[in-house]
Amino acid sequence: MTPPHIPTRREALRLGVYGSALGAVGLTAGCGSEADATGARALRIAQKSEPTGLDPHLESGLDGMNVLINIFDMLTERDAEGELVPRLASGWEAIDEHRWRFRLREDVVFHNGEVFDARSVKFSIERLIDPETASTIVELRAVDHVEIIDDHTVDLVMADPDPVIPEKVSLFGGAMLPPRHFAEVGAERFAAQPVGTGPFRFVSWRKAQLLRLEANEEHWNGRPAFDELHFTAMPNPASALAGIQSDVIDMVSALDPEAALQLEGYKDVELAKYPGIRMYFVVLDTQHEILRDVRVRRALNHAVDVPLLIEAVLNDSGREAATIVPQEAFGHDPDVPAFARDPGEARQLLAEAGHADGFTLRFTSSNEDQLVCEALAGMLGEIGVQLDLELLEPGTFAERLSAEDPSSLGSMYLTGSTGWTLDGGATLQSYVRSDRKRSRIRSERADAMMDTIEQSIDPDVRLEALHEMQQWLHEEAPFLFLYQADLDFATNGEIQWEPNVNGTLAMETAR
Amino acid sequence: MSPSRRRLLRTAGVRLLSSLGVLWAAVTIVFVLSRASGDPVALLLPEDADATQIAQMQATLGLDRPLIIQYLDYLGGLLRLDLGESLLYKEPVTSLILERLPATGLLALSALLITVVAAFLAGSVAALRRGSAVDRLVMGAVLVGQSTPAFWVGILLVLLFGVQLQVLPAAGYGTLAHLVLPAVTLAIFSVAVVARLLRSSLVEVMGQDHVRTARAKGAGELRVLLGHGLRNASLPVITVLGLELGALLGGAILTEQIFNWPGIGRLTIDAISFRDFPLVQGTVVLFAVTFVVVNLLVDLSYAVIDPRVRSEA
Repeated sequence: MTPPHIPTRREALRLGVYGSALGAVGLTAGCGSEADATGARALRIAQKSEPTGLDPHLESGLDGMNVLINIFDMLTERDAEGELVPRLASGWEAIDEHRWRFRLREDVVFHNGEVFDARSVKFSIERLIDPETASTIVELRAVDHVEIIDDHTVDLVMADPDPVIPEKVSLFGGAMLPPRHFAEVGAERFAAQPVGTGPFRFVSWRKAQLLRLEANEEHWNGRPAFDELHFTAMPNPASALAGIQSDVIDMVSALDPEAALQLEGYKDVELAKYPGIRMYFVVLDTQHEILRDVRVRRALNHAVDVPLLIEAVLNDSGREAATIVPQEAFGHDPDVPAFARDPGEARQLLAEAGHADGFTLRFTSSNEDQLVCEALAGMLGEIGVQLDLELLEPGTFAERLSAEDPSSLGSMYLTGSTGWTLDGGATLQSYVRSDRKRSRIRSERADAMMDTIEQSIDPDVRLEALHEMQQWLHEEAPFLFLYQADLDFATNGEIQWEPNVNGTLAMETAR
Repeated sequence: MSPSRRRLLRTAGVRLLSSLGVLWAAVTIVFVLSRASGDPVALLLPEDADATQIAQMQATLGLDRPLIIQYLDYLGGLLRLDLGESLLYKEPVTSLILERLPATGLLALSALLITVVAAFLAGSVAALRRGSAVDRLVMGAVLVGQSTPAFWVGILLVLLFGVQLQVLPAAGYGTLAHLVLPAVTLAIFSVAVVARLLRSSLVEVMGQDHVRTARAKGAGELRVLLGHGLRNASLPVITVLGLELGALLGGAILTEQIFNWPGIGRLTIDAISFRDFPLVQGTVVLFAVTFVVVNLLVDLSYAVIDPRVRSEA
């Protein structure tokens, strides 16, 4: 038998494909030509994910906002101390319950030269609330329309009263777009080449690789110190570590405590913790046959050693919380005490409630918080309360959180909530009023307090209601009060910048 | 047309139809499973969205329509090569995939090239020196390669070459240097599989009559290996290489995650974690098409390489 002839076609084909693919990479590398050659000073930031797009009305994720807040200015902003201060709006006031008036800065232009004025505000906010836009930003739902008073004054006319509108236009929903330019290019091209008034201009974006911004020389608040901002998505903390050590990345934002621990102790890596506002707490089902007894709920609170949890599980990245309103938020009541850590007291309360032999509860959480849940299970186990843990994939957990059927989350569930508006009502609204899906509280008194918090525009009245609410929560203990998470950053040690308490990467102040 | 030719065409036609059946099954299974995994709106909207906003978003995305309508709609789109629009990125799935495809293709093909070269070298050396210390060493290394998870190898390579020695970039994309570590990581498992197979196949072939005849006619050992041994031993190897190309695409999901490689793998992970149905379906269709096409090509290549297969077809 003659040996078969080896065809060269296959090899040739394979080599051909390989060769052309290689060529394609060469090409992209060529036209990318990262700025290093030009000598521009770039700040290279890695975060978990990149924006899903650059239309600020379609982006409700924090990683996306971290990019957009550098391209677009909002109407208001939080300063380093967490105070709400003017940004594109120079001042604001509530005319009545249905009308918020904003006065605007007069020296602002968009990156394309278009002037920022009252029409920009009307266009931006009315586009956001238009159902056609299909925006995922829900904060401005109470706004009905915008009225132009003069070139630099607008009124947000409300369908329902909303006392925290000025806070809500400091981030999502507050981004100002150029109406004339938008009309010319359309939504799609606008999102591909966004134009704002912000401290950095958009340069280019190669998806999953690099998003580049450059300093806006004409920014009304002065030119930022860095010539360029580079954003890269690095979902894997090990990549981020290697990135800092091999000088590909200057800064990694929003590390979770475990990832931060991985980075500890490496030369050339500097870790920084800043106070953050994300609250973690366990929602107890106050309708549950055992948990409906307030003594049981208090017992659980006495059994959990929060400082130990923070030290052992979170690597000290958090602050104990006595309530679910962050310390920095409007309405936080510093006089509400944390429950004393006292397993003896806890056991006695359980015995009084008729549960001296303990019991078992079903406990649901996202598997991202597995370590915290296991620590809680250990601590509650010491007073005879067994937890039947159900750890879910984050998507499934998120879905059950908004499901109609409350029993899908068991008799208790762990949740984290970021009320970025820094208003005490932000966290409370989803977890307290009896008609909200995540709430396991059925109390007319709590509902009445929530109505005041959500609808009154008098700050003093709201403050009083917020304090009363937090004291009531301490009494009733419908939650296991846990902690307020820190913001963890890693840098190469050469960047001078501090996040404000909402943690967004507004980089105009970076040096 | 000769009868044998007609038979070949008929076989090809049947294979093509069954491939379409496989694709349809893959699409349907993914459609059903992804719908069963839950509602993406919970992930797209922030936590304090109210019922009206949730209903509105579902209507906008077409998720409030009956499942069967969504399914037929999707199949109809597929026939027009329209994979729908990503819920997360609000862009056509086709353009998202095309954007990322070159990076994954480059990675998988580089890994395949490494596999072919390294596996043929290792397999041949081991087979020719069967039973020697070299054989045991090579096969030992291969066993380690086959039993080590790619993500672990990847992390070790990053630590060694990226962080300690700083000779290769630890992550990123753009130059040949960026390609080295991920391609090697991805190739290691395939190299091991193919090298082992090639060794045993070669050992068998080298003992056959025609090889002895060639040796007896005075052909040198290298000539015997190239002209007789490898040529005959490569048939099973091609089957496995075909399967490995599929495995390489799958392995790219992990490798791309480790090396921050901007390919289909990372896109798929994002799509899954956000329940971006159209995008998940799109990437699955892509993987299924690749597998089906590679299998077809492998089958056809038999006929070209081995005349026995051709005459039987």
